[in-house]
Amino acid sequence: MRTKPLPALAGGVVLGAVVGVVMRAVTEAQPSEKPATRSYHADKPTGLSGAAALLAASVLADSALEHYRGSFENPAMVAPLISSALTLGSSAGRIFSLSRTRPSRQKAFVLSIAVGAAGLGFHIYNVFKRPGGLSWLNLFYGAPVGAPAALSISGWLGLAAERLAAQAAPAPRFFGLPAGRVLAAFTSLALIGDVAEVALFHFRGAFQNPFMYAPLALPPIAAGLLAKAAVAPIAKTHLLTRAWLWTTFLLGMAGTGFHAYGVSRAMGGWRNWSQNLIDGPPLPAPPSFSALSVAGLAALSLIEREAHAGDRQGR
Amino acid sequence: MSPETPRAKDGRAPDVFSRGGWTPMRDYALSEPVDFLIVGAGAGGATLGCRLAENGFSVVILEAGPFWRPLEDFASDELAQQTLFWTDDRLIAGDDPIALGGNNSGRGVGGSTVHYSMIALRFRPEWFKCRSQLGYGFDWPITYDDLAPYYEEAEEALKVAGPVNYPWGPPRRRYPYRPHEVNAAGLVLARGAEKLGVGWAATPLTTVSAPRGKSPPCVYRGFCNYGCSTNAKQSALTVWIPRALRAGAQVRDLAMAGRIDIDPRGRATGVEYFREGAWRFQHARNVVVAGYAIETPRLLLNSACPLFPKGLANSSGLVGTHLTTHAGPGAWATFDEAIRWYKGPPNMAVTEHWNYTDQGKDFVGGYAFMSQGPLPMAWAQTLATTRGLWGAALRDEMRKYNHMAGFVPVGETEPRAQNCVTLADDVDQYGLRIPKVIFSYSENDKRLQRHAVAFMSEMLAAAGGYDIWTNFKDTSHLLGTCRMGDDPTTSVVDADGRSWDIPNLWICDGSLFPTCGGVNPSLTIQALACRIADRISRLAATGSLASA
Repeated sequence: MRTKPLPALAGGVVLGAVVGVVMRAVTEAQPSEKPATRSYHADKPTGLSGAAALLAASVLADSALEHYRGSFENPAMVAPLISSALTLGSSAGRIFSLSRTRPSRQKAFVLSIAVGAAGLGFHIYNVFKRPGGLSWLNLFYGAPVGAPAALSISGWLGLAAERLAAQAAPAPRFFGLPAGRVLAAFTSLALIGDVAEVALFHFRGAFQNPFMYAPLALPPIAAGLLAKAAVAPIAKTHLLTRAWLWTTFLLGMAGTGFHAYGVSRAMGGWRNWSQNLIDGPPLPAPPSFSALSVAGLAALSLIEREAHAGDRQGR
Repeated sequence: MSPETPRAKDGRAPDVFSRGGWTPMRDYALSEPVDFLIVGAGAGGATLGCRLAENGFSVVILEAGPFWRPLEDFASDELAQQTLFWTDDRLIAGDDPIALGGNNSGRGVGGSTVHYSMIALRFRPEWFKCRSQLGYGFDWPITYDDLAPYYEEAEEALKVAGPVNYPWGPPRRRYPYRPHEVNAAGLVLARGAEKLGVGWAATPLTTVSAPRGKSPPCVYRGFCNYGCSTNAKQSALTVWIPRALRAGAQVRDLAMAGRIDIDPRGRATGVEYFREGAWRFQHARNVVVAGYAIETPRLLLNSACPLFPKGLANSSGLVGTHLTTHAGPGAWATFDEAIRWYKGPPNMAVTEHWNYTDQGKDFVGGYAFMSQGPLPMAWAQTLATTRGLWGAALRDEMRKYNHMAGFVPVGETEPRAQNCVTLADDVDQYGLRIPKVIFSYSENDKRLQRHAVAFMSEMLAAAGGYDIWTNFKDTSHLLGTCRMGDDPTTSVVDADGRSWDIPNLWICDGSLFPTCGGVNPSLTIQALACRIADRISRLAATGSLASA
């Protein structure tokens, strides 16, 4: 089946815009400037950048695999590869203090947010255009509705890291609210979205392995604890929440191992990797839980730092 | 590809999940009577054998064909796979003689489930009371509700991959596995159905959509109507037989049953069968015939003896009669876009609209129809035999192969006495009289087919197909010939598959069907077998089993 002219045109525009933004960012790239005043958080938000990088890496590998599987039928299917690669590079650049300017990094993150949003639109359109419209069959086998959201989330996390670095205050704020709480709430919602996506695809796999229930059991609790941290009275420690986030982190890593086992169970196993890697359970998907756990841990650090800062101010 | 020496012997049977592998198997002595001797290792025999062995009975299953190892024996080659069909000599007769072969026979452990198209549909509940509720055919001695738990058991055993919500039939438990992605050929049906305002669904199939034990998920290689070389297909060979062997049953492959022996009291004592160049005799307390609609009546008729000169279980004179088949007239169309209908299982979308809707019919009965995916050789054969194309004309038509789509129904035919299996005077390589299969369509059967072809053509056009043509020759499943019933004078066996005449002789296969419904029968055969196994165990518990 060929892509119809209109979606192909829309896809072409999206891809063109992405390439345009990248070209412009490259031409405008300036040598790194030392900030005039060293930010209070300049050395802190590596956790967030790490989360953004890990999530972007997950999206890059996943969309490369899945869109290759879809033969890059629509030109826009190249866009998430470019934007997730840029977000990965920019976040890594922040972590390792490479010579990228802040504005160019910000552009990369905003681009990921935009491409993720456009992707969401394309994927929803893909589900609805199939015979049967919004149905289980099309949710299983149409474009995965939740996947592009992960790209946007990686962009938001990258942007948050930049904002934090830019703020000199000991208790940074996003949108006028305490940054740690905003980030905790955001990560909690992202975790729920991730769980919904996994629930759909593990349901498609008929939960044939009992371990397929694990990502439906552990991360929702992490999401709940994070949501609590976001709204509860400010606390200096979050031992249980931290422990649960680390468990979720490990779950994400273990998930890749389980998916590798899944690939081995397909006809021909790993010997037939060129087919089974594409059709088997996606190896790059589970680390998205790890990435969001790291973001959650960063959010907790911010909340705790705010609590400590409050102490110092005699609150 | 053609292991014509027995493999299942000396305490071991082929392991269907490995190349060259073996699995241990019980060895029963010929002289020691086993509880159940089952003739035929297909959907009926393998299922019953498994369930009886699991219930603690000693079981031996005889199978006329070989014991395949799918991974090494099933080539992706249409010609090489012809050995899966039962192509021994038979005679066909009647106004509409049925072509016998790949469509309706299977020779080998697993029977025709080795090369069935894996469609796992339930009967419409009303069909079990066809005469009283719908006014045609015969009533079954059981109801849908009697069979429903066993449908569920069979679906679970086969890990049927089906829609989350199947649109037809009474409420039911969700299929164990999720549906497969519908291929382009199936989407043609989906588009057409939505244009015409009738329901459609992804076909419930017995090929796994996720890993299951040693079965990898289906790779959509499209050779489903031959042997599945990946073992994704859940067949009697890969599901019931391994379970049966684990439970202590013995399977003897390449063992052709020739005669059921009857003692002077009128009880079956065992079966004479031909294996490894000699006739042998296995003693048994109960004999089950599960050879399907041709071989089952053939064995009963060939076993005629002074006590039962008309053949076994035939006091009603009904053995071999009321043969039904599923009519499969096709409608085919060309499409601009590439369909590549060979990708994936051949029948990925289905509509049961005309099974469940009785208004607007000029016939009684029902039909479901599915999207199609014939492989090139089968397709060339269809073109050559139904349109007479040959040479350049055939070549030109074959060039459209990737752009074709079409539908074939599973069309119910009326059970009529004159459609039957009898014995011819000729004998086969074993010296056994060969079957003669006589079949003609009734006027109602023809009206049903005309309706189906018109509706399918309309749907193809609605989906964007053109150059539509039809063919009327094909049939599939053979059913009936030893029907079950409540009355010894109008049926061959009772609701448990037990012969009215010989209390330790049972039948368990598609020949039990009083009517054939408009869906593929394999699931119903397996559900019936599960129920019969259950009933036998209960009868044994109450001491009502025959003790030979």
